[in-house]
Amino acid sequence: MANLNTKYKSENTYDAIVIGSGMSGGWAAKELTEKGLKTLVLERGREVIHNKDYPTTNMMPWEFEHRGMMPEAIKKENPVVSRCYAFKEDTQHFFVRDTEHPYVQDKPFDWIRGYQTGGKSLLWARQVQRWSNFDFEGPARDGFAVDWPIRYKDIAPWYSHVENFIGVSGNRDGKDNLPDGEFLPPFELSAGEKYFKEFLRANYPEREIVVARCAHITGNQEFYAKQGRGLCQNRTLCQRGCPFGGYFSSNSSTLPWAAKTGNLSMQHHAVVHSIIYDEVKGKASGVRVIDARTNEMSEYFAKVIFVNASALNTNLILLNSTSNRFPNGLGNDSGVLGRYMAFHNYRAGISGEFEGLKDYTTEGRRPTSGYFPRFRNVYKQETNFLRGYAAGFSASRSMVTDYSGIGADLEKGIMNPEYGPWRVGSHMMGETIPKEESQVSLDARQKDPWGIPLLRVSIDYDQNDEDMIKDYLVEMAEMFEAAGFKNIRTRDDKRAPGLDIHEMGGARMGHDPETSVLNKWNQVHACPNVYVTDGACMTSTSTQNPSLTYMAFAARAVDHAVKNMG
Amino acid sequence: MDRRTAMRQLAILTGGAALLPACDFSEESILDAYSNLNITASHEALIKKLTNTIFPGVHLVKAEEIQLEDFVLVMSNDCLNENQQQAFVKGLKKYNGFCKNHFDREFTSMGQKEAENAFIKSLEIEPGNGKEDVEAIHHFLATTKRFALQGYLNSEYFMTEIQPYELVPVRYIGSKKIEAS
Repeated sequence: MANLNTKYKSENTYDAIVIGSGMSGGWAAKELTEKGLKTLVLERGREVIHNKDYPTTNMMPWEFEHRGMMPEAIKKENPVVSRCYAFKEDTQHFFVRDTEHPYVQDKPFDWIRGYQTGGKSLLWARQVQRWSNFDFEGPARDGFAVDWPIRYKDIAPWYSHVENFIGVSGNRDGKDNLPDGEFLPPFELSAGEKYFKEFLRANYPEREIVVARCAHITGNQEFYAKQGRGLCQNRTLCQRGCPFGGYFSSNSSTLPWAAKTGNLSMQHHAVVHSIIYDEVKGKASGVRVIDARTNEMSEYFAKVIFVNASALNTNLILLNSTSNRFPNGLGNDSGVLGRYMAFHNYRAGISGEFEGLKDYTTEGRRPTSGYFPRFRNVYKQETNFLRGYAAGFSASRSMVTDYSGIGADLEKGIMNPEYGPWRVGSHMMGETIPKEESQVSLDARQKDPWGIPLLRVSIDYDQNDEDMIKDYLVEMAEMFEAAGFKNIRTRDDKRAPGLDIHEMGGARMGHDPETSVLNKWNQVHACPNVYVTDGACMTSTSTQNPSLTYMAFAARAVDHAVKNMG
Repeated sequence: MDRRTAMRQLAILTGGAALLPACDFSEESILDAYSNLNITASHEALIKKLTNTIFPGVHLVKAEEIQLEDFVLVMSNDCLNENQQQAFVKGLKKYNGFCKNHFDREFTSMGQKEAENAFIKSLEIEPGNGKEDVEAIHHFLATTKRFALQGYLNSEYFMTEIQPYELVPVRYIGSKKIEAS
């Protein structure tokens, strides 16, 4: 028996374990394996192999039975995921359905999940704006959350490291609130967007729109060919999985790269129950894993563990990792774990029409849009609310067809479309304030089919968010009107938090173990061989899309882990 | 007593016989393909007549050449919520009778021009004395047209021959000068 145990232990022992194969887990795996560590990646979902398991990727619109729409029966059974903009007939197989993995909503929260190789990196909107020092200094300056234990200079080289590898299309705009990075050629702004950019320059000199930086390959082909990836072909069907590898996903990039080192082992259907804490050695020794299909539990061991299960699931795993030393969850001496969650406020938007630029249109498709970096409260506090919002901005022109008649009239109308006005639109991306009462916790009674407690989510908007929405709508409407846009319509869709798919926090970084879970290297203060580098680590949310920052944290933390390995 | 209450009471008194207009006493069998709709081949024929009326094939191909009736029924079967679906089916089952009342001929027996006029006029008829469910008729016609348009514009025919869809555009031009045609 002793021999069997020894054998089991040695067969199940790796140098490193990574929980989760998404955006940040893929990066941890790539960096660990490149540095020579035998690494086990645990993915709770099924296997999705790049270019093999993208069943809809080359389908034509008419090949979808409902032309993209989701049937009512599925929407009715799965109201949460059905509210996600990307959950459509061509992508539905990459989303978790509400019925498959229930959770408890103390307050409405739309939790969007992708349980498969690559996680949500297959599905993301591929926006990769760097954070600036204004973001990392925010909590200290404005007196909320806790001070970030790092500044922009600490992460800047890791942004570069990540950008070079994933491929980022962008323009060098020289803005200190949206730092430039390692860019491949940018996509163009449309004529309508350029008009608005010029209008702002002349009338609001402190405000500017740029083309949003996105994780698409637009140059340096030889370099990306080594990953088996090619140039973006402007299909804008990204969420189906890209046959060209034109956008970054774990599936197309980091995971195959890690596999090539010979140091990667991957397990699918591997639901992590908890992290094992060795009370004698005073550190984590491995993880308990349940096979999603057989319900069998196994244990795997490693010197270092990276938790990249997605923001909420990482909280769940840490909270469920109890021991004598940590009765309230791994590293949770302070009681902060699961608290101070936040997200991005995407509730408001505005649209309008522009009658100018009649001689111009756009052609082809673009996998990104214009981007309005934050202009509120950047250099100093100037409004009645804290922080501010970034915004998407786009202007495009499409053909207008008269569909009013029937019979020969209708057919004639369809044969003779005309250019309509330019349509302009924007949506807000507001920073929200992490608060103690915004939290996730384990349900005391209800468990999932693998015996793991269900996650309870209690996250909501506050007055700061409401004030920010008002300001966004007033400011945008004023700029739209002044720019000569017509038929301006504003909206507040009152969506629940979560639909932004930017939930963050719960295991925040900080200087002080009394008020944070992780240190400046993303190590659990009280259990330093466990690193958390996904959305759970975030101290505040900034306004920028967070994935790039998670990837940079993952690479930086691996570097630290390997340098400090005994 | 409002109309709804009156109908309900009548239904109770007659043991549901008041709902009979929605039933079908013909020997026709129910079409399995559209199981939520509970309809027969003659209802499908009415949809086909409607889609052919909407797209008669004067400048483009006729609706039936791309089986547009099937798309309308698939969408009505799968993508309408319960209320929308009930109104659609009610309208579908009553439309021939409605046309007979107002235009002296069932819709399925009309010629193209006559059918076009009936379609347009039907939408102009105001909800009236309560004998007819004009709202359901309107909903039915509007839904049929909406799905007919969606199916037509997203058909292989339209997206290859009329307005070719590019799966792989390989370009984005932000300021493209429009050439005068």
